[in-house]
Amino acid sequence: MHEQAQLRLKKQEAIKLGAAVYLVQSHDLVRTRVFKEENRLLSRVKSPFSKNKSLVFSTALSDPAGRAAAIYGVARKCAMWGGWVENDPCWFVIDRKGILTYAAHPSFGTPTSYIKEVDDMLDALKKAAL
Amino acid sequence: MLRLMSAIVCLLLLPPPLQSQESKSALERYRDLEFPGGPDASKVGFKVFEKGWQDRVALEFEIINTADLKSLRAGLKNEDRLVRSMAARALGIRGDKASADALADLALNDPEFMVRIRAVESLGLLKMKLEVIEAVKKKDEAGVAWAADLSIDQFKSKLDCAAQIRNAFAVGIKRKEMGLAKVGHAAPDFSAQTLDGKTFKLSSVLGKKPIAIYFAAFDQ
Repeated sequence: MHEQAQLRLKKQEAIKLGAAVYLVQSHDLVRTRVFKEENRLLSRVKSPFSKNKSLVFSTALSDPAGRAAAIYGVARKCAMWGGWVENDPCWFVIDRKGILTYAAHPSFGTPTSYIKEVDDMLDALKKAAL
Repeated sequence: MLRLMSAIVCLLLLPPPLQSQESKSALERYRDLEFPGGPDASKVGFKVFEKGWQDRVALEFEIINTADLKSLRAGLKNEDRLVRSMAARALGIRGDKASADALADLALNDPEFMVRIRAVESLGLLKMKLEVIEAVKKKDEAGVAWAADLSIDQFKSKLDCAAQIRNAFAVGIKRKEMGLAKVGHAAPDFSAQTLDGKTFKLSSVLGKKPIAIYFAAFDQ
């Protein structure tokens, strides 16, 4: 959600590039809709995003079996509390020729790292738009 | 006669043959997979655990698509938390309303955090036991309460979320289709659903404009 919130702040850059931006959730349509349209997570804590209704600019896609995530090699790779293994979050950028030019996993290190990671992705998107 | 008796004694002393992987049920093989954390999974934080991810994906598809309901129901009582979790998840997706009482019991009482999450999620998919889901939301720790909150949405939705998930699993996946995305190569196609329920294919936009895709984890 942090990644999406940071991207939303810079959505004009993606729009100027004429880019398509997608968010893939390995969940059913109801949970994907909540993720897209509601800010349940960051509204609970004091943050720059706590008062926003929605934090997601990207087009949300529901991938409930994680099939797309498996094709992209990010499925069932990230250990969460308790040992259950979820998707490993990842940005991908594809250029105008359909070539994958960038892949990067967010570090979730500090709040500031989210900004840099989205900037890095936007830089890759600019190159992909040439 | 002596030879025959010796042979019988030898046979009795031999260890029983090991059960082959092929003869084990999908749930039994799931228990054999390697997961992070070992016996003390509560110490596992948010970290990447790549080893064996294709096995986890393949077996999850197999369990949800083909495991018989009897073994899944028995799996809810398995001593292994991973088996209980996967059995709970699969029964919700399969729409097994006969498991609602057992799932409610797990959602309220299982000692393992992730089992309670999977159980309460499945109650939402089954659209049963709203009072249990609400109780879990009120009393449990943050992660489980979060899952319960989303389960209430699923319960109240007009959509059949279990059927949507079931249909997505039914497409299946082959190992050779996994991990195809490589920087410098053509982006692999995939299908997903838009929020209005329509099918989206990446190939419909590939080669036409620059594209950014974010694959999210759970609900981060």
